[in-house]
Amino acid sequence: MSLKLEEKAISSKQQFEPLIVAFCCNWCSYAGADLAGTSRLNYPANIKIIKVPCSCRVSPNFVLRAFQRGADGVIIAGCHPGDCHYSTGNYFTRRRFTLFANLLEYVGIEREKFKIEWISAAEGNKFATVMNEMLDSINKLGPSRKLRDGRWIRQQ
Amino acid sequence: MDKTTVRMQQIALQTLANGEVDVILGWKKGDEWYDSYPVVINDINETAELIWDAFCVNNLSKYLITELKKNLRIGVFLKGCDSLAFNQLVIDNRIDSERVVIFGLPCPGMIDPQKVKHAGLNKGLLKVERTGDKIVFITKEGVKEYIGRSFDYDKCLNCRCPNPVVSKYMLSDAVTRTDEEQYFPDVTEIEKMPLEARYDYWTKQFSKCIKCYACRNICPLCSCETCVFDNIAAGVSSKADADCEQQFFHIIRAYHVAGRCVDCGECSRVCPVGIPLEKLNRKIIKDINQLYGDYTADTDIAKSPPLGTYKVDDFDPFDGSKQGGKK
Repeated sequence: MSLKLEEKAISSKQQFEPLIVAFCCNWCSYAGADLAGTSRLNYPANIKIIKVPCSCRVSPNFVLRAFQRGADGVIIAGCHPGDCHYSTGNYFTRRRFTLFANLLEYVGIEREKFKIEWISAAEGNKFATVMNEMLDSINKLGPSRKLRDGRWIRQQ
Repeated sequence: MDKTTVRMQQIALQTLANGEVDVILGWKKGDEWYDSYPVVINDINETAELIWDAFCVNNLSKYLITELKKNLRIGVFLKGCDSLAFNQLVIDNRIDSERVVIFGLPCPGMIDPQKVKHAGLNKGLLKVERTGDKIVFITKEGVKEYIGRSFDYDKCLNCRCPNPVVSKYMLSDAVTRTDEEQYFPDVTEIEKMPLEARYDYWTKQFSKCIKCYACRNICPLCSCETCVFDNIAAGVSSKADADCEQQFFHIIRAYHVAGRCVDCGECSRVCPVGIPLEKLNRKIIKDINQLYGDYTADTDIAKSPPLGTYKVDDFDPFDGSKQGGKK
């Protein structure tokens, strides 16, 4: 039953509602999202924000687990390099996830599905733009079950 | 008996007798021609059983982690690739190099028993001897000689470090390799494939995995006391035969040794289902070399690991728009 529902849900592109997980750093990007909200800027409801203390808190495990459990795109948002609340955290993020993004592409995952963005607390506008662009590119890619847990079913 | 084996037994006897070391890590010969297994010995009578042949492929440096907890000073035999792992373990602060005496073994390459079997040479085989590139198969019927490297492990054919980079005693003359070094042809080949083909290729490879964790256990640098894949609470140690679980395991395994992998090729050697795991590790090494300067793990223990450090002006692939960023 549920499998049929799932097929139906992804059979037409119009009905495809992507799920995007955004790991936002507490000090910049989360505040940026807040600013986007208070400035009444539109960003899609498909974005699910998870607050992390620093972008370098995000482990590659989180990213893969998100893909397994239904995310169509994952985005990590942190302070601009040089502006990290903990001075150096996002420099490490940059090195780690440069390699990780390359590795994901190497095993056949589209670049568009995994992104890193530097969004400061003052960039509500950029937050909204980035999230809208992310949704657009995921919509263009269409539904895909790459890295998805075969036992995972989309909740209607 | 092989000259190096004699030298090996002598030096083991000598260092044990004069108290330079408490135990020796080496190899002994098992029942079969391809069976040379790692041993820890502290009895001088046992030194005569130590062996060096073309099947001493096991890396002994990982054993140092556990053995150094039990013993004060250890003598260990290391090949070229093993010595790279040793250096990396020193960098990772996993072992105390002051308490280790290294006997260096320049290595001409190790023989893959599978390749011998495929060539049909294993019938009645009693012993295999190797001097340089000359391989002698001693069988019940007689003696066969081969010249060349057709029986070497794949990883040995791409060897970049046949001679130990660190040692106190060198047991034989340095091996010279004149082969053209082709370091990343396999990675470039996969990079050139279209995206979907790459995904299919890797999914097919990963789906063979039986989660035996041999790749992790043999890896000299996968040395965490508790591995993330042994942590039930983390929810990532599922044994389910699902594609996503295999992908998760292999991507994370490769990533966890990023910047520390010495490209010894042990992971793919021990894989019972033949997943080309070294191609994942090599991709990371290739990227690190390209982006963060030439890092070849690990001949220089003074260098900091590439993922444990950073530069302010590192390449930033995520700053396409340059909005509001510091230049």
